[in-house]
Amino acid sequence: MSNTAQPILTARALRKTYRSGNRELEVFHDVDFHINAGESVSIRGESGSGKSTLLNLLAALDTAGAGTLSWDGFSKIDNAARGKFLGIIFQAFYLIPELNALENILMARRIAGNVDAAARARAAELLARVGLRDRGHHLPSQLSGGERQRVAVARALMNSPRVVLADEPTGNLDEKTADSVMDLLLGICAETNTALVLVTHNPLYAQRTAREYFLHEGTLRSVR
Amino acid sequence: MPWYLYLAFKQLFPSGRWMTFFTCISTLGVFLGVWMLIIIIGVMSGFGFKYGRMIIDTGGEIQVRGAFIENPERIQEIINKVPGVVASTPTAEGIVMIEHQGRPGYPGIIGVAPESVEKVIPISKYLREGSMADLDDDAVVLSAGLAASISTRVGSKVTVVSPLTLERLSQDAYMMPTELTVAGVYEFGHQQLDKSVAIVTLRRMQDLYGLGEGAYGVNVRIAPDADVDAIAGEINASLPPGSRMRARTWMQSGEAFLFALKIERLMIILIVSMVVFVVAFLVTAMLLVAVAHKTREIGLYGALGASPWQSAMCFCFQGVIVGVIGTALGVSIGLLTLANIDPIARLIARLTGNWELLVEVYEFTKVPAHITGADIAIICAFAIGMSTLAGLVAAWRAAKLKPVEAMRSE
Ligand SMILES: Nc1ncnc2c1ncn2[C@@H]1O[C@H](COP(=O)(O)OP(=O)(O)O)[C@@H](O)[C@H]1O
Ligand SMILES: [Mg+2]
Repeated sequence: MSNTAQPILTARALRKTYRSGNRELEVFHDVDFHINAGESVSIRGESGSGKSTLLNLLAALDTAGAGTLSWDGFSKIDNAARGKFLGIIFQAFYLIPELNALENILMARRIAGNVDAAARARAAELLARVGLRDRGHHLPSQLSGGERQRVAVARALMNSPRVVLADEPTGNLDEKTADSVMDLLLGICAETNTALVLVTHNPLYAQRTAREYFLHEGTLRSVR
Repeated sequence: MPWYLYLAFKQLFPSGRWMTFFTCISTLGVFLGVWMLIIIIGVMSGFGFKYGRMIIDTGGEIQVRGAFIENPERIQEIINKVPGVVASTPTAEGIVMIEHQGRPGYPGIIGVAPESVEKVIPISKYLREGSMADLDDDAVVLSAGLAASISTRVGSKVTVVSPLTLERLSQDAYMMPTELTVAGVYEFGHQQLDKSVAIVTLRRMQDLYGLGEGAYGVNVRIAPDADVDAIAGEINASLPPGSRMRARTWMQSGEAFLFALKIERLMIILIVSMVVFVVAFLVTAMLLVAVAHKTREIGLYGALGASPWQSAMCFCFQGVIVGVIGTALGVSIGLLTLANIDPIARLIARLTGNWELLVEVYEFTKVPAHITGADIAIICAFAIGMSTLAGLVAAWRAAKLKPVEAMRSE
């Protein structure tokens, strides 16, 4: 499958520098990255190596100093395109505290388009899939860390994105909870044939993806 | 519904909770400001409106005064020909001594023409007892205050002595005091007019004051919505040349009081508007805190595909919603308060012991209230405009946030 598969997200020769005062800090340069449809890929690296920075560039949440980015099917990369093409999961969950679990999942659809009966049905279905069937009316403050991240996973998948970007999704969770959230994330992406970019520093999680990248001293290497 | 409007509502009224503390405080602020504006404008305009109605009801829209009128019928004929004039009635005023069972009073006295007075001055409307139909040359209608102070009722016989009696006495002539029967008691609800006034027929007044067939003035009623200034001008133009009679509109007669009231109203509106400004600052501050508090969350909206201006709209609408709800509450409770302003004012006055003062200054025994649709519209536009502005300040802050930087912030 990987031979015939087309890359759906491609980045070439990415460079990122941060300027603070008159000093320039180069995080990385000449980064090439791609992911194929339905594929899962992990990016590892030490803390501060630039993993989050790279993910932000892939999501077009930030602008690169040099290089090109392309999303399959989108000639113009903008906010609206991001909502349809990508699902993003963060280490810190980022659920909206005023909305209950179900409404948080639906929020992805609200921003990207319109909420109709089909969307509501899909949100309920996703909620059940992440194991929170009866928790739809609970606010984030009434959920545990693992449960919140499950809601975030469901939200990321709400718009049937082509690619899910997950930035250390289990970084705030204890080991056992982390394992189950990771099982869920890998499982659900495989089931739905959604490509997954997983940033993690846990080698065990990295091994479970099809390919591995390693970010070190400003360069991204494909290690498997 | 666009997502930012939905989220604005949800952040003010979260799922599973009634409303947030922020919503409560800021809506309450807007409500209080609008409520105060409605009441103050309503009561201040009410005094002006009621005062105007009072002058019109007791003297017609236009009063012709300035010289003794030997032949009032002729002047009335001239006035009645002016387009827009509905009716006119001659009048003569003076002071007499009145007495009932040993109780004296020194009221103002007004002579009215029974055949035309009601067309200009609807005394019947204000009669507490008796009937204007019984006002003949041997009858008198008393103000409520006077009737009480000399303790008369309808049917009581009172004795009236005019200044003419004294004049005759000095000429060694004796004039018999006049005995009149009380035909009615009126109450206008205006302290000065209700205190000490006696109304008799013009013919009786002419006898008491030795006026012959004459009168001191003519009161004029005009068609509703007619231009009072234009008609007064036309009356002046058609009065006999050289006469010292002048037509004055009710606004000119009550000018000093109405002007003072206008200034007072303006000052209070200014002060209360400042209160609304302060409320707007409160809403701005609270929304800015919300933006700061939600910095990382605003980054998330971007990650979910929102554009910066949409995220900004979310906060702008929170200002708008707070403004609309607070204003709606303020207007409805304000109008409700105005509808019951008199008992409420009495209660407050009783608690603070200020009722006498209130009556003294404004001369009304009831607190009047009057507010126009235009007044309400201006108040609404002002309050909602200010809270929208508050929302815009917060929105501008939110729009400046870049998603990545927002998410990195601690
Ligand atoms: N806004 C910024 N300004 C300056 N330096 C930054 C900024 N964001 C990140 N950095 C720096 O870039 C480097 C990479 O950060 P990050 O991508 O968060 O690393 P990782 O996610 O791998 O831990 C770090 O050294 C960090 O200090
Ligand atoms: Mg990171």
